[in-house]
Amino acid sequence: MRLYDIVVLVTPDLNDEDATKVAAEYKKILTDGGATVVKEEPWGRRRLSFPILRKREAYYHYWQVESAPAAVAEAERRMGLSDQVLRHLAVRVDEDLKRSAKMAERLRLKAIKRPPRPMPAVPPADGAAPAAPERSES
Amino acid sequence: MRMGGGSGRPTGARGAAAGRDGKAGPRKKFFVRRRKVCKFCAEKIEYIDWKDIKMLQGFIPERGKILPRRISGTCALHQRKLQTAIKRARSIALLPYATD
Repeated sequence: MRLYDIVVLVTPDLNDEDATKVAAEYKKILTDGGATVVKEEPWGRRRLSFPILRKREAYYHYWQVESAPAAVAEAERRMGLSDQVLRHLAVRVDEDLKRSAKMAERLRLKAIKRPPRPMPAVPPADGAAPAAPERSES
Repeated sequence: MRMGGGSGRPTGARGAAAGRDGKAGPRKKFFVRRRKVCKFCAEKIEYIDWKDIKMLQGFIPERGKILPRRISGTCALHQRKLQTAIKRARSIALLPYATD
């Protein structure tokens, strides 16, 4: 099982309900393929940065899905065939997220370890400040 | 009042002349170049999210191109990640490929 970010752009020709229905079809393909929806965010009707098929807006639907690759591939294939889907994007994110979580954890541990350090770290800084004028005097 | 006004004019003229001389004379090439720091390294962001358009827009000048590293100061690693993130965002029309 892998984590995917999936975004679907549905035609603005449909109304809000129908667009969510269209999006739900693809969600069903995913869940039928054994996927579990982790996050679901309808971004709503958004302006496109550039016209796609002469359309200037689209309904954005975003899911984060934990799924087997085959189910995502199948959903993407069907999205590509559909006329109601302007664009779609599926990105595998588990490895990147894991890496960033690991980094965050490492930083957190570092931060916990660090506090005793500033105490000895301060005196040398104080020592360095008087040392500089002495040098200039000599 | 009258005295002040009278003396004010000539000094003003002199001051302007001195200013001109100062500029024409020893031209100091003196501007502090701020050290550029990678935004992502500074904020310790490891994963650059392609959904975060507001953040990405900071790296997209008016023309819609990706801001080069030499200007933004982003480190090589993060510039590469930023690049893929921007390209992904473009593919679903969150960001423009080009604008005039």
